[in-house]
Amino acid sequence: MKTIAPMQAERLFTHFLDPVDGTLCLPASATATDIHAQTAGHRLRFPLVLDPGATLREHTAAATHAPASCRFGPYCDNILGINWRLPGGRLARIGERVVKTTTGYDWLRFLLHSGRRFGEPVDYVLRLRPDCGFNIEARFEGDSQALRGCVSRLLHSGWMHWWDAVDFITQDAGSFVRVSIHCPSEEAPIFEQQLNRIAAETAAKLSVRHDAQPPLDGLPDVTVKTTPDRAISLAGQLAREAERCVALCYNGVVHVHLGEGEDMAGRAHSLMQPHIGELHALGGDWHSRWLPATPPSLTESQWLETLERTIHAS
Amino acid sequence: MNPLPLSSQLKQLLPRGRILDSPAQLAGYAADALGYKSYLPDAVVIPADADELVGFMKGARQLGVPVILRGAGTSLSGGPVAAQGGVVVHTSGLKRIREINVEGFWCEVECGVALNDLDAALKPHGVFYPPDPSSGPVCTLGGNVASNAGGAHCFRYGVTSNYVLGVEVVLLDGSVQRFGGPAGGRGPWREDWKRFMIGSEGTLGAFTRFWLRLLPLPEKVWTLRATYPDLRSIEAAIHALVAHSSYPAAIEMLDPRGVAMVETSQMAVGLPKGSFMLLLEIDGPPALVDARVGPVADLLRHAGSNDVVLSDQDAMRQKLWKARKAAGGLLGQLSPDYVVQDAVIPKSALADVLQLVYDEADAAGIRAVNVFHAGDGNLHPNFLFDSRVPGELEKVELISERLMRRVIEVGGTLSGEHGIGNDKSAYMPLVFGPDSMRLQWAVPAAFNPTHQLNPLKVFQNRRFAT
Repeated sequence: MKTIAPMQAERLFTHFLDPVDGTLCLPASATATDIHAQTAGHRLRFPLVLDPGATLREHTAAATHAPASCRFGPYCDNILGINWRLPGGRLARIGERVVKTTTGYDWLRFLLHSGRRFGEPVDYVLRLRPDCGFNIEARFEGDSQALRGCVSRLLHSGWMHWWDAVDFITQDAGSFVRVSIHCPSEEAPIFEQQLNRIAAETAAKLSVRHDAQPPLDGLPDVTVKTTPDRAISLAGQLAREAERCVALCYNGVVHVHLGEGEDMAGRAHSLMQPHIGELHALGGDWHSRWLPATPPSLTESQWLETLERTIHAS
Repeated sequence: MNPLPLSSQLKQLLPRGRILDSPAQLAGYAADALGYKSYLPDAVVIPADADELVGFMKGARQLGVPVILRGAGTSLSGGPVAAQGGVVVHTSGLKRIREINVEGFWCEVECGVALNDLDAALKPHGVFYPPDPSSGPVCTLGGNVASNAGGAHCFRYGVTSNYVLGVEVVLLDGSVQRFGGPAGGRGPWREDWKRFMIGSEGTLGAFTRFWLRLLPLPEKVWTLRATYPDLRSIEAAIHALVAHSSYPAAIEMLDPRGVAMVETSQMAVGLPKGSFMLLLEIDGPPALVDARVGPVADLLRHAGSNDVVLSDQDAMRQKLWKARKAAGGLLGQLSPDYVVQDAVIPKSALADVLQLVYDEADAAGIRAVNVFHAGDGNLHPNFLFDSRVPGELEKVELISERLMRRVIEVGGTLSGEHGIGNDKSAYMPLVFGPDSMRLQWAVPAAFNPTHQLNPLKVFQNRRFAT
């Protein structure tokens, strides 16, 4: 087979909206509101939103998941490509604009939440989803046993694939389970029937709001990744020192909102100290947008230095 | 360099495992499912378990020959073959399913577990692991993770990289590293190193075990099959389906050449001559999918099909899948050799790129059959040829190159689920510019700087220098 000559320039993404493929390329400084303005007319949406006014770059710096990750997976499964500014200022294309790729090493998932050591995102290619036009927000209230029963029933059946979000929320006023559903309006009664069945089985109190906004909790101060079966109890423990904790139940993610105050970095650090050992043993992690990344071990430093030498050479 | 012969060194490294070195034994490891490119390894080793694999990797540097990790050898990219000679490490001894955690939606498995064996073990628990390459009965999870395998149900469920929570890997320095785990995060590391490991095609380390994410099993499945008279109408159906709220799990297509191949075989199912076949599935709770199936069937008819068949009964569903599943097997019967490409394109370019495949193949006198994952835009054009006929392989390579150039022009990529191996490595300069190419090379520079692990794969000039 003949040898193909190397390219002389990067094949960067240009901004586009492909309504057939359901993909959108736009600046990392775009907000969820900006995305909505471009996609709504094509009956498409980008569901992983935490704060409509925050930029995409701020979203991925603060969190790996959003409530709708229950159905659609983390940001790294919904951001297909990036134009990435290397530390020297040059741009490199990372990833693709199509939904599947196994072409080369997966720098996209490696870089997406890696902070600024390797540079920064300039543009993102997003995977969009059909906009069915109708949102339902359901809330289950009750005692701890009833709420845990609700979560178990919501997740351990084929219905789980169709909830946009199943979140266990702990705050001063108590705990509740929030379920977000996005569907055509004619399917709403089918979903409500199932929610009512779960409420009856668990003796939880159910309230349902039609045509609701998708959940917008704001950017978390701390994001924790554990296993799904540990997320609710971890959220309960962390909530003692925070204003609000949102456990994304299927993903095993806890978003901690510390509330107003000074020394956010110090508060985040001291909040997480007792939990780090268990998280690491499970292959979990945590990070805070107020704190720099953890220093690498000696082994990891050697790998990072090799990568950095290459990246800086660019 | 160790002065002992290779076989003696291997016996020291694998006191309990098997060492194969007779020509007849080695012949079974000369190729993967791609078939037509074969390379005899110097030896094959089968470690008895993970501990022995670790011991082997600790001594691998001293061997001074390439080391190629291999699961079942079902890959379609020329991946787990000894392209530069060396020792093939067959991981079939590592086949324990170590834990299934239903409450946590994860399982822990060794790399040699066959995909369908995992499915069978999970089913009684009401959960499943979604990636489903068609080699499921034999392919191993190690091979699936190494090539980031997909399958027919990727449209909704995604590929292997969406489900790997953690990887344990033995590096060439003999260290055993765990990246991630049941929780699917970084663990104690600063960076998420497992991302490089998934899809690395055996070029960074030897996998021992994985932590995989699970989903609850859907209770009910409707399978729908529709035929279309032309490319434009089936393309319209595909475009409508991917935007539909029913969110099908699979959207598969078989072109008229594939239909003809099935209908002239013993696997005939009565598809109209010259038709394009679309096969899809919707799954979920009965109340939901039963409400959705009517609108989906209407959508298929509205796009131009007057031949829509659907069923929620297992036996009938298997019949509807028969043509799609038979097509892959028939290719091997019809032709001594075939190349299957794996490009992914934006779906807006589907008809255009398929037409290019037909035009190029017809002009060269090469048979081309398309059976592929239409929902993902993941093409699998199969080019049938006979490598014994002078010039045929060169024709196929020329068609493949023109196809790949067009794929990249329309915004696509070389591989969606098969990996690059040595089959597509020549096309990598079409994808990566100077800076992104440097980033690509930085990864093996960190973990496998001499390229001893699986050389001549992924990048054409990744050669092991002893």
